[in-house]
Amino acid sequence: MSWSLPVTCTLMETVSTGWAEMLRPGLTVLVRMGRESGETASEAAMEQCASVEREVDKVLQKFLTYGQHCEQSLEELLHHVGQLRAELASAALQGTPLSATLSLVMSQCCRKIKDTVQKLASDHKDIHSSVSRVGKAIDRNFDSEICGVVSDAVWDSREKQQQILQMAIVEHLYQQGMLSVAEELCQESTLNVDLDFKQPFLELNRILEALHEQDLGPALEWAVSHRQRLLELNSSLEFKLHRLHFIRLLAGGPEKQLEALSYARHFQPFARLHQREIQVMMGSLVYLRLGLEKSPYCHLLDNSHWAEICETFTRDACSLLGLSVESPLSVSFASGCVALPVLMNIKAVIEQRQCTGVWSHKDELPIEIELGMKCWYHSVFACPILRQQTSDSNPPIKLICGHVISRDALNKLINGGKLKCPYCPMEQNPADGKRIIF
Amino acid sequence: MAVQESAAQLSMTLKVQEYPTLKVPYETLNKRFRAAQKNIDRETSHVTMVVAELEKTLSSCPAVDSVVSLLDGVVEKLSVLKRKAVESIQAEDESAKLCKRRIEHLKEHSSDQPAAASMWKRKRMDRMMVEHLLRCGYYNTAVKLARQSGIEDLVNIEMFLTAKEVEESLERRETATCLAWCHDNKSRLRKMKDLLDPARWRMLIQQFRYDNYRLHQLGNNSVFTLTLQAGLSAIKTPQCYKEDGSSKSPDCPVCSRSLNKLAQPLPMAHCANSRLVCKISGDVMNENNPPMMLPNGYVYGYNSLLSIRQDDKVVCPRTKEVFHFSQAEKVYIM
Repeated sequence: MSWSLPVTCTLMETVSTGWAEMLRPGLTVLVRMGRESGETASEAAMEQCASVEREVDKVLQKFLTYGQHCEQSLEELLHHVGQLRAELASAALQGTPLSATLSLVMSQCCRKIKDTVQKLASDHKDIHSSVSRVGKAIDRNFDSEICGVVSDAVWDSREKQQQILQMAIVEHLYQQGMLSVAEELCQESTLNVDLDFKQPFLELNRILEALHEQDLGPALEWAVSHRQRLLELNSSLEFKLHRLHFIRLLAGGPEKQLEALSYARHFQPFARLHQREIQVMMGSLVYLRLGLEKSPYCHLLDNSHWAEICETFTRDACSLLGLSVESPLSVSFASGCVALPVLMNIKAVIEQRQCTGVWSHKDELPIEIELGMKCWYHSVFACPILRQQTSDSNPPIKLICGHVISRDALNKLINGGKLKCPYCPMEQNPADGKRIIF
Repeated sequence: MAVQESAAQLSMTLKVQEYPTLKVPYETLNKRFRAAQKNIDRETSHVTMVVAELEKTLSSCPAVDSVVSLLDGVVEKLSVLKRKAVESIQAEDESAKLCKRRIEHLKEHSSDQPAAASMWKRKRMDRMMVEHLLRCGYYNTAVKLARQSGIEDLVNIEMFLTAKEVEESLERRETATCLAWCHDNKSRLRKMKDLLDPARWRMLIQQFRYDNYRLHQLGNNSVFTLTLQAGLSAIKTPQCYKEDGSSKSPDCPVCSRSLNKLAQPLPMAHCANSRLVCKISGDVMNENNPPMMLPNGYVYGYNSLLSIRQDDKVVCPRTKEVFHFSQAEKVYIM
């Protein structure tokens, strides 16, 4: 395992206290490397791929050159031999013995053939080292073994878990709109998915397919029937659908003018919220005769509106269904992509320091994984004094001064029946501490 | 996208996830190179043989006719050499080009354009899922997914399909295909010193699957499974498993039905630093949205309390108790 992987600089703070001492020396090295890299991390990464690519390019070049050379030499040989044969086959020489001159020429030809083909064989052999350099570059820049964060068999031993995983994949596929793949998986894994679960996705997909064909009908129907809830979401879907329809009429040219004007009445309920946009559209009517493409309103005809409406629809429909746009499986997988190298790194450090026993602490990961604020789904309170997450058995307590520490920390701070807040010198009665719930 | 991945992080992940992506086509390249060398050597020796025969004849004052017929033989062998050489080179070139395509795809992880970067990430997940599905034996699904995601070039379907053929033939109690596979891969198998005992069918299939994976240096678990396990652990908190289900979050992946069951035996995330999230809005509670405690001990963000305030009163969403807005006290988290 390479040691050159950078790790976040907060490594020392994020490793749980019990381990820090044991791992400190190894971690210091990593932290230092982390500090030095930063910028160079992404350079190192590009180098990873570039290094392999270089070797592959060399091999491709060699195949090209060799191929051309091989074909050419053999062509020449065949041509030469062909000429000789033609000469020998001429009627004048039939039945006669071979002349000395011709015999000499023939010998030379034979030698040439032998030399050429043997060289072709050895030239090809020479390419071998370039080929194996590709393999070596891959071995050098990528890890051949990936290890589990938890014991390998944690999902194997429970067959049910495998089935649940398949189900999670099916649910993900439905949410991503890959209906035929989901169906296929259900068949192959003999899973049964409730129609109740499938139904909303089937409907969503139907509407999206219509939108891809520029058919606004099903989407409008859906938007109207969910109008109330969409308004609660501050969604402008219905308006946007009407707008798109109007624009399409406009694109139809002057003959569509009456129809467009008549359709404009649909904007009435949106007059307050979307005044500006309605004005723009009404204004564009002036250019109908001239052709919208040549007018200052040509941007209305952009194709991007269609892509945008699909996105808006998907987003609003998912909100209504209580789904996030990214499936839980996607988010978990992406989180794993961040976590995996960090955890493998630390596992290597642990093994290096030969304290493998420490890894068997199966309840909690040994290190914090930073996923970004969008992944903060639950409150976490880590007691600033004991550096541990609070729990039901050790809950957070608010002191009179408003500072919060864990109950265990509070108990440790009691001195002679009184308690001094570690952050402000306010002395207080331990019993005044109030248990809080985030 | 919910999870933030910096370019540096993406690259670290590449290092641990993408070995099979590159190594498998490389092994094919290697195999085809050796086959090409063998073909060229063989045809070259054929040419050399007929030429030697011709040379021998030349030294014994031959008639023109016999020389002509020998020359025909030379022409024939040279043509065969040319044809075989061209075919073999084409095959090796093809595998080298596949290696190149995959490397080029991997390079795109560092694209500046956000749309291209998220497309790359989606394809990454699809690639790993395809490999996982292939390992589980769901070949049709895997092929369909690969096609729909446009990643057919980037996944090792062929390797698994070959494996599938062998396994199916073994299930029919036929050894021919399996033996052919062994022959095909014999030089590498020899290095592994493994023996396949034809008498034990079920074990044989398992053994074959294991050897096949080892041959291509793939471990027991799919990259997808291992990545997912790490990811679930990194998100899992005790709140995802509270008995009354009161602290579940609608956005938290581990709180969702299937993943909740899957993540149960896995370790939890380690959090050394506090981070507070308002139960009402899901927003972060910090200096801009300070955490406020109601008299019942429940904490919410200041902004959320403002938004649910009516007639200067607030109703705690979790206990339904009613309090005055002014009764909310600020708490200080270090």
